[in-house]
Amino acid sequence: MSTLNAKRPVGLAVGVVILGFLAIAILGASWLSPYDPLKQQVSERLQKPSVEHPLGTDRFGRDVLSRTLHGGKNTLLASISALGAALAIGLVIGLVAGMYHGSILDTLLMRLIDVLLAFPFMVLAMILAALFGTSLLHLLIAVVSVWWVSFARLTRSVVLHAKSEVSFAAARVLGASNGTIICRELLPKAISPVLIMATFELGSLILSIAALSFLGLGAQPPSPEWGSMLSDGRDHFMQAPHILLGPALFIVLTVLAFNLIGEGLRDKLDPYEKSEL
Amino acid sequence: MPRQASGAMLQLEDLHVDYSQNGTVVPVLNHLSFELGKGEIVSLLGESGSGKSTIARALTGLLPPSANVGSGSMTIGSEPPVDLSGKRVPWRRIRGRQVAMLFQDAQQALNPVVKIKDHFKESLLYHRLASPNEVLDASARLLAALNFSNPLDVLERYPFQLSGGMCQRICLALALCLKPAVLVADEPTSALDTVSQKEVLDLIASKQRELGLTVLLITHDIAVANAISDRVIVLNEGVIEEEGDARRVLSKPIAAYTRQLLAARAQLSAPTRDREPSREDEPLLHIIGLEKTFSRKKRVLQAVDLTLHRQEIIGILGQSGCGKSTLAKCIAGLELPSGGRILFRGRDIGRLRGRSRREVCQRIQLVFQDARASLNPGRTALQLVQEPLRYMNIADKKERENLSAFYLNEVGIVGDLQKRRPPQLSTGQCQRIAIARALVLQPEVVICDEAVSALDMSVQAQILALLQRLHRQHGFAVVMISHDIRVLRSFCHHIAIMKEGSFCEIVRAHDLPEQSRQAYTHLLLKCAGDMEVGL
Repeated sequence: MSTLNAKRPVGLAVGVVILGFLAIAILGASWLSPYDPLKQQVSERLQKPSVEHPLGTDRFGRDVLSRTLHGGKNTLLASISALGAALAIGLVIGLVAGMYHGSILDTLLMRLIDVLLAFPFMVLAMILAALFGTSLLHLLIAVVSVWWVSFARLTRSVVLHAKSEVSFAAARVLGASNGTIICRELLPKAISPVLIMATFELGSLILSIAALSFLGLGAQPPSPEWGSMLSDGRDHFMQAPHILLGPALFIVLTVLAFNLIGEGLRDKLDPYEKSEL
Repeated sequence: MPRQASGAMLQLEDLHVDYSQNGTVVPVLNHLSFELGKGEIVSLLGESGSGKSTIARALTGLLPPSANVGSGSMTIGSEPPVDLSGKRVPWRRIRGRQVAMLFQDAQQALNPVVKIKDHFKESLLYHRLASPNEVLDASARLLAALNFSNPLDVLERYPFQLSGGMCQRICLALALCLKPAVLVADEPTSALDTVSQKEVLDLIASKQRELGLTVLLITHDIAVANAISDRVIVLNEGVIEEEGDARRVLSKPIAAYTRQLLAARAQLSAPTRDREPSREDEPLLHIIGLEKTFSRKKRVLQAVDLTLHRQEIIGILGQSGCGKSTLAKCIAGLELPSGGRILFRGRDIGRLRGRSRREVCQRIQLVFQDARASLNPGRTALQLVQEPLRYMNIADKKERENLSAFYLNEVGIVGDLQKRRPPQLSTGQCQRIAIARALVLQPEVVICDEAVSALDMSVQAQILALLQRLHRQHGFAVVMISHDIRVLRSFCHHIAIMKEGSFCEIVRAHDLPEQSRQAYTHLLLKCAGDMEVGL
């Protein structure tokens, strides 16, 4: 009967360890990588993995391992900052919509969310690229402008739930203003489910950014980025499939790490999963 | 099912249950043994935390995963004994046919998306007690036997369309249709108001006589135990303190603990109210023709008139659903009234918004029924009491801390307790903190919305005594909302009786039984009084 209690957060630990290794590899890229990620050597193009080039070289003779390590910084930095921005926007809008539930403001925000949910964000990213030119920043703007929606909806539903609780009524009777209630009563309740969701979202965010870069809408050559590296490798993967291996492996590991952490956090923080007494 | 002519219907031996909590093991039931005779109603009496619900759950195999049954064997009738600590207990054979269960919240015990008739269909068909085309007739007959006037209509409804009392009667019908050997009722009436409580208890008693049922009634309420039981078992911290004939235990208790329980109850009924304040001067709170309707149709309050003078204590009595809590919320500003006026010192506060509304909060405070839920679990007692001062920007940090420490001392939360958070405190202590938090703004009116009804009898008496003392010291007026007539009669100067959204009369508390001319008031008093006979 005690098997449920004996459950240890193995997933969380594994996730943290993987993320730790990735962080060391990516942050220490300039020391760890054997070659300059941008240096081209035509004589060594499309080489198979060897002792000199553990993951081989690409079509310009650049070392794939070095490019993958350096590219991680771009990819991770971009996705984490996009996530942070989406999280902040989503929290604010969700809190406001939930607090003034039933008002015109709430209705307008919710309809806006409906529209954005129906809008294919790949298309939005392409429109932005067409209007302002392709760059990682424009890609991020496109991602953020769609990604906050899920956070806002989650926050709003948590707030609506919290509003029916006695402690909310108590705060109002004690004379708290709406702003105080939002900051001191509702935000702390919303933050943990939203953070848990964020770790899950980060995985799909990395994949989306990689996918957009793969389509050529993100980071521009020659700067390394996992998605665009995959895109580069596409033309040669019949002759040299190993080019894809490096970035693909790193994407899989990162997404896996964040999903494991998300699951672990949910088990730890989610009040509804706790056993009684 | 084989039945013995006499003797024990259910024998429980050496039941030991503990809960593991954050690695530590907390024993809840300590090698407990008792037996129920055939055709007997036995009450299991105990305060919260005594382990009485754990017994009910152990008997039906519904213990949470954190519970661990150390030992225990159960014998029902002449069946072979069942080892409760084992993994392979034949619950499918035991539940329903041998041990049936009534839960505290009947409305939640029924599936909300399924009509009543389907509840009957499910259990009758599963146990093969009726063929599919007999089900409707059989269930209508069962409901008719439980005093439903139009069973066919009830069968077509969903649980949420019925009152709590009706749901509990339906649960009883569902339990009885399987003709169980033992009925375990876990606080079956504590969520109900006095009138439906009486109704359900009378039904259990009459069915028990009719069918020769064996009933284990689990309750914290001495009056409930007194009303229908033959024998009483008093439970304290997982140990049986006293066991015996109901009359004897409740009138001549032997164990010190039982005496303590009875004394707490007597204390509650003893009138302690002070001299009535004069009603000469201008009223503090004046409610004129208050109305409240929800979603344009449902009329909850209509033509409510009430005056409250300085230092006065007014009680509001009524059945559940009569609009008591809505009235409290309107006064406290949580609901906007649909009509009428609420005058506080001559100023209409019913429709104030924003800053001016918040300033009124300083003068009118509300204490909730569920104290634990009204406190933010992440803050210490000291921080909680400072909250209203921070919200109102009163005093500086140092002063706020001193003020809240002072009020916490006033309500008896001293020393180390002030640094604890609500999960580490008992429900009674939480209610004390909630009272301190309400008083720190020095309000002129304190509304207590069923502030003591969720508490154990002894704690109820303590909290009421505390309110009494604070009332004398600080001189605020109190609106006390309750469904418990004893609490109101001992505590209030005047009692307003509410029925279907309006007051049917307002009487002085100490001439309540004699002076009342309303039939409804007499009904409420009779239901409460009947259960007390012999106490």
